Parts: sequence; structure tokens; C-alpha cells
Amino acid sequence: MKIAVLVKQVPDTETKIRIKGDSSGIETDGIKFVVNPYDEYAIEEAIKTKEKNGGGEVIVVSMGPARTVESIRTALAMGADRGIHIDDAGLQADSHVTAKILAAALQKEGGVEVIFCGKQAIDGDCSQVVQGVAELLGISQVMIAVKFDLREDKKGALIQRRIGGGSQEVYDVSFPVIVGAEKGLNTPRFASLPGIMKAKTKPLAVLKAAELLGESKPRVSFVNYRLPPERKAGKILQGQEPAQMAAELVKLLREEAKVI
Amino acid sequence: MEYLVNRRDIDFILKEQIHYEKLFELPEFKEFTTEMFDMVLDQSFKFAQQEIAPLNASGDKEGCLFDGKTVKAPKGYKEAYQHFAENGFIGMDVPATYGGQGLPLTVAMPASEFFSGASVSFMMYPGLTRGAAHLIETCGSEALKNIYVQKMYSGVWAGTMCLTEPQAGSAVGDLKTTAVPQPDGSYKIKGGKMFISSGDHDLTENIIHLVLARIQGDPENSTKGISLFVVPKLKVKKDGSVGESNDVKTVNIEHKMGIKGQATCTLSFGDNDQCVGHLVGEPRSGMKQMFQMMNEARLLCGMQGLSISGTAFEHALQYAKERVQGQGKTIVAFPDVRRMLMLQKAYVEGIRSLLYHTGYYIDMGKGHPNPETKAYYQGFADLLTPMCKAYGSDMGFKVTELAMQTYGGYGYISEYPIEQYMRDVKISSIYEGTNGIQALDLLGRKLPQNGGQVVQQFYAMLDEFVTKNQNEPALKVELGEFKKALDLIAQVAMSFMEMTGKGDFNYPMLSATPFLNMFSNVVVAYYLLDQAVIAHVKLAKLLEEKVDDPSQHKGFIKGNDEAAYLDGKIKTARFFVHQVLPTVRATVKSINSGDRSALEIIL
Ligand SMILES: Cc1cc2nc3c(=O)[nH]c(=O)nc-3n(C[C@H](O)[C@H](O)[C@H](O)COP(=O)(O)OP(=O)(O)OC[C@H]3O[C@@H](n4cnc5c(N)ncnc54)[C@H](O)[C@@H]3O)c2cc1C
Repeated sequence: MKIAVLVKQVPDTETKIRIKGDSSGIETDGIKFVVNPYDEYAIEEAIKTKEKNGGGEVIVVSMGPARTVESIRTALAMGADRGIHIDDAGLQADSHVTAKILAAALQKEGGVEVIFCGKQAIDGDCSQVVQGVAELLGISQVMIAVKFDLREDKKGALIQRRIGGGSQEVYDVSFPVIVGAEKGLNTPRFASLPGIMKAKTKPLAVLKAAELLGESKPRVSFVNYRLPPERKAGKILQGQEPAQMAAELVKLLREEAKVI
Repeated sequence: MEYLVNRRDIDFILKEQIHYEKLFELPEFKEFTTEMFDMVLDQSFKFAQQEIAPLNASGDKEGCLFDGKTVKAPKGYKEAYQHFAENGFIGMDVPATYGGQGLPLTVAMPASEFFSGASVSFMMYPGLTRGAAHLIETCGSEALKNIYVQKMYSGVWAGTMCLTEPQAGSAVGDLKTTAVPQPDGSYKIKGGKMFISSGDHDLTENIIHLVLARIQGDPENSTKGISLFVVPKLKVKKDGSVGESNDVKTVNIEHKMGIKGQATCTLSFGDNDQCVGHLVGEPRSGMKQMFQMMNEARLLCGMQGLSISGTAFEHALQYAKERVQGQGKTIVAFPDVRRMLMLQKAYVEGIRSLLYHTGYYIDMGKGHPNPETKAYYQGFADLLTPMCKAYGSDMGFKVTELAMQTYGGYGYISEYPIEQYMRDVKISSIYEGTNGIQALDLLGRKLPQNGGQVVQQFYAMLDEFVTKNQNEPALKVELGEFKKALDLIAQVAMSFMEMTGKGDFNYPMLSATPFLNMFSNVVVAYYLLDQAVIAHVKLAKLLEEKVDDPSQHKGFIKGNDEAAYLDGKIKTARFFVHQVLPTVRATVKSINSGDRSALEIIL
């Protein structure tokens, strides 16, 4: 069974994001980059699925600059078998272009039955790439997956996905399928020290993003970056009679917050 | 309880001060890459935060349970111990032969900081296992190695070190436990040991005690007659499986001030004359062999001081930025609070650099292909170990006290983490040779080492640092002050030699602890100043690249984390040199006074 995991390297959640002087992007120096947290669930599920299947191969695919290799190695140290780094130097990628490139890489690889990825990357938070890849490859997709049970025939899986209001849907899907992992799908393992030692010698291929993309052009252009406005301090009503304060609150909700 | 640590500072020491890639020059580390080191650190940190830190407060509240027979460690310890082992952390820095990971100590030090900082009570279980297994690995016979070592690194069995007896604390040579040779080459062990850390618990299938005892007939009341034995709690069969009890009985566990998740046990060996031990190495070389484990453990004691005070400081800093008192000001604005925070920062960052460097010297001292270089670094490691242990633990305690003071009343309250940190860290100045014993070790053994050559070489390194950088205007004054303090150390050391030459041992011994402290202050000042020099160059470059108008420098530093960190390094070194280093002069004055009142008074 060939299993692929799509992984993105993103700034650590604790990073204080700074915008470049010319607003063209974020300052990347001094930032610590990590595997996108949702992708960790994907990696874990891929390895678990291989184990449950009693064999197979887990291939980590990641697009990004040279430093992306660190994230691929982390996935290899967790237990994936080999990596494909898609070097995107000089490319301005939107979700469409990213999906195109990843789909092309997967097609080039061929024979992949299950593709795991995080439901979204915590940097851009677009949550569009999974669906894009599914459309481009013409395969089934299950997003926001919280449970993945390999079917007994090993040619499909029962996949639970979270929908609003605490409800869940269960899909019986035949492979090939692409799965967008949600928090809670599993508890990702650590990259063990023996795993880290082994990861060094696992194969890692490099592809060029531009070659995979062909003629497609991005559909979104990035005009500039801005930090969200700082949240203003809240107002506390105090010191008056309760009835007076209630009246004051209603007035504020009407005139200042304009919500009623 | 959240585990907080300054990762930037750790990266700075490893990558910008030590340059850990230099380790690749050593044959045993040439297969590694910096990428692998970083991954190891990331995973260790994550493990500490996610798996160990949650056990710290709960382990403290719950404590260990003794039902009269066996000991139960607090909830969650067993699972965490197994996970810890599975991830390869127990034998992180030992060769791969028996399942170690072969990483340099330089990389294991920060990992150890994360683990101990997250929960020192927990970390002592795998820590002692590692030390015991490594001792068997280094000194034991092939047969002992094959049976025990791998099982210990892989988490199946745990380990301890058993020196202390009721009448033999600091004076290990007074121990009474005996070993009687048996026809099959083994020994029957009999005696009682107390205060044994990780002495009994339910984390593993078996516990392997490394016991110091005296073979019948060997010299009494001296460390020269002591031998080292492997004594399993449960007998181990030929095929390596675990059998019946080896007549090792847990008599009691201690109730104590801190490290309550740690089982400190009184053990009785051979109550029924059925306790079998296996000699490690040669007879009567037990003390020398145990010193391997003790030297490692001494460094780790200093690490306990650093790791706990490191997280205590981060908590205090965070708290000071949030706590509002008076005119809507956060308390971090008040000069006295800033003074306390700066002291904490300077001690933590200086001691961190001292400990990591000592780890690096040990790696170089073990693995450098050139015998001269090897001896040079090993000498530094020997010289600095008592300072790491004593100064690291004493200042570690002091920092937790300052952290508590920073919190005010809330620091004293158990809902906040500081009071536990303070209780937990206190023990580090007591066990593994009290800090008083460390001071004697520095004075009596380490200063005269190789005819004083080691300390002279160390002096030369620090002196050269001053010569090389003294024209740097930004730190000129501080380097001048440092040089004066450095020369005072040399003077005092000389005067001690003169005194002992004349047969006066008591006065130097009276001055041993003050001397260790003043020497450590100078050493820590050196590492902080070295950091400041590096930071100064980097900051200047950053400002040149990013800011055109010099009048904007201050504003830029305020808004840029990296610039603020580097600027902080310079200020921390200056602070330490002006606020702490002058105590060296006072200490010298007191030592030079020749005042013997403490020796002469009738107490
Ligand atoms: C929680 C805990 C865990 C421990 N874990 C272990 C363990 O795992 N294994 C183990 O073997 N032991 C362990 N110990 C024992 C510990 O190492 C001893 O307590 C320590 O070595 C001091 O011995 P003592 O308590 O008998 O004190 P003493 O030796 O009686 O010392 C009392 C005081 O006298 C001073 N003193 C003693 N002799 C001298 C001297 N020659 N010169 C100057 N000053 C001196 C000491 O510095 C100290 O201030 C542990 C102790 C505790 C409390």
C-alpha cells in the first residue's frame, strides 16, 4: 500500500509575526519553523495505517524552500519511509497553484492509495489545498477527519468526520482517498532518537515546483500584508445602580457596538 | 504546571558560543549533522513539556506510597518512564553498543535541562538508571554488561547508586556493608543503606543497585578498602529473565521537603543471608569506579539547580509583566523588581553557559584524537565540576528564592509553581557530596591537579580572552574589572598553597566555600562577557542592516525580539560585572584577614 502525507512547514505557533518593511510578506529570519500541527496527525495516521496494513510505504511530500527538508526529516524520524521535497524557489504560490503542484507530484509518483494531510495549515489558514488536490486528481476526499479505520479488505476505510454541533458523519470510502486530519484523530508520536538517527539515511528526492506546475498561473495575487488591528481594551461599567448600568449597557450596545 | 524555558538562550550557547558543529571533528560524532542535533532538542523539549511537566505538581501532591513491602511511584510516572525509554532518552549520550544513542553530552545537557526542569523528581529515575548502566558498561565484565546494560537503557530495568549508610554520609569510607566471597565467584552482601534515590518503585520489572561494600578482611575506615557490586532487587537467571527475590528489602521511605515524587528509600541487603552481588571491576577499586558515576551526577546536580531555577525565572518574569500594582503599573516597571529579575537572569544564563561548556569540555576530553588537547579539556572538566555542582545548586536555590520574592505573597502559595521549585531544588546542594565537600574537592584536589597546570591553563584561557577583547569600547570597563577579579583568584590560590606548605590546613578549609563561590563568580562572569562580546558584534551588524538612522536604534531594539535579546546579553554581562563580581574583592579581603575566630571559638 502506497500512502502519501502532504506536509507543510509553518512558523511555530508561538512566533510573534512581524511584517516586512515593504509589506510584501512576513519577516522570516529569527522565526522557528515546525511541521504544521495538523500535519502531525496526518503523519501519525499514515504510519499507523501502514502498521495496521502489515506493510506498505509512507511517502512524505512537502513543498517549500530549502529549510522544508527539516520538516520532511522530522516526518521520516517519526517513521515515514522516504521524502519528496518540492523546491518552490522563486514561485509565488496560492492555494490553487499549490494544489496543482502537489497533485502533479502525486501523479508522477503514481499508485498512491491513501493521501493524508492536515485539514489546514496554521500559517495561511486557507484550508483549500486538500480539496484542490482531490478535485485535480478526481478522487474522494474526507475533510476534518477524527477517525480512520482501515476496512477489512484493506481497499477502503471507514472515516468519521466532525460536522457542526457535535455531530459526526461516517463515510465508507474506497481508495484512493485524500483525508484532511483534524485534531483528535490520534496522538502523534515523538520522533524518537533512534528514529532521528535512521532518518538521516532515508531517501529524499527533490523536484522542481516550476516544472510540476507547467503553464498554470496563480489566481490570487498578494497585494500587501498587514497585522490585524490590536484589540481595544474592554470597558467595565461600575459604580452605578444596576438599573442605570443596564440602561448604559443597552445604549452602548446600540450606539457604539451597533449590535442591537 | 507549565514548563517554561528560554530556547533562544540555549540556541545561542550551542550555536553561537560553543559552536556545537565543532564536535563533528571528533571521530565518534562525525556522522551527526546540526539538523539532527536540532531535531533531538526539539523532540526532547516537546517530550518534557507534553509528557513530563504534567506530572510535576501531581507527583508532589501525591508523593510515593509505601505499603510496608513495595513502593509505588506517583500516577503517570510508569507510563512516562516507558515512553521516555522508548524514545531513546535514557542512554542518550552513551555509545550505541548496548542501545545508547551515542549523542554528545553537549547535546544531552540541554535535553537534561528540559527534562529536569519539567520535573526533577521524575527525571531522577531515568537519570540514575543511566548512571548505573553506564558504570556497568564502563567497568563491568563482559558477562555483567551483556546481562544488565541493554535492559537498563531500554527501560526494562532501572538502577540506583547505594553509598550512604547511617554512620557513613560524607565519610563514605566508614561504610559497614560487607561482601563475602562465594565459591562460584559471586559475593553475599549484607548491610543497610539509606537515602537511596529511586531505591524502590513500580516503574520497571527489576531494579539494579550499584552497592559500595567492603570485602571481608579489606582495610576498614578508608575508601581504599571499598569495592563495587551489582545487586539486583530480583535475581536474574542465566537467560536474563527475572527470578525470585534477591533478599533486598525496602524498610522505609523518607518523607521530605521536596522531590516528593522521588522514592528515597532505606534498603536492607541480606537480612536472610541470601543477597547475591557481583563484583564490578577489581576488588578495592569501588570508590574510583563510583567516582565516574558521581562526577556525572555532580554535573547533573548543577543541572538540577539550573533547570529548576531557569523555569522559576521564566515564570517570575512572565508574572512580573502581568501583575499590576499602583497607578496601573505592572511590577516589572519597579527598580527593585528589575534588580531581582536581573539577578535571576544573570545567574541562570551564566550557569547555563558554564554547564553546557563543561559538557562540551567532557566531550572533547573523551573523544579528541590529539592526546594533548584531550588532556587539556578533560582538565577543565575536572576543575569546573565542583563549581557546576555547588554553585549551580546554591545559586539555583537563590534564584528560586528571588523568583518567590518577585511574586510576592502569591509565590508562597501552592497554587503557583514557585514554592515547589524552591523545595525541590534545595536537595541538590546536599546530596552527591555536600557543597562543603565540593569546596574541599576544588581546593584540595582540583587546584593542585597536575601540579597546578590545569588551573594555570584555565587562567590562561580567560586572560587571553581579556587581551583579545580589551579594546572593545562597549565592554572596556567590564573587561578591566573582570581582569582584576581574575588575578585575585590566582593570588588567593597561591596564598592557600603557601599556607598548606607551612602545615596550616584548617584556614584554607575554612575559606574553601567562599573560595569556590568567588572562583565561580569569576567563571560565570567570563561566560557572560564572552556572550556579550559575541552579542555586541551581532547587534551592531543587525542595526547596520536594518536601521539607517542611529537615533532609531533604541526604538528598533524595543520592537525586535532578536535585537532585544542581543542587547539583553550585553546588559546582563554588565550587570553581573558591576553588581555581583565586586563581591570577589570582599571575599579576598575576608580571606586575607586571617581571622580564625570560627576555628577558635568554643561552640
Ligand atoms: C533526598 C536524598 C536523596 C539521596 N540519594 C542518595 C542516593 O541515591 N545514594 C546515596 O548513596 N546517598 C543518597 N543520599 C545521601 C546523601 O548523599 C548524603 O545525605 C550526603 O552525602 C551527606 O551525608 P549526611 O547526610 O550523612 O551528612 P553529613 O556527612 O553528616 O554532613 C553534615 C554536615 O557536615 C558537613 N561535613 C561532613 N563531613 C565534612 C568534612 N569532612 N569536611 C567539611 N564538612 C563536612 C557536611 O558538608 C554537612 O554540612 C541522599 C540524601 C537525600 C536527603
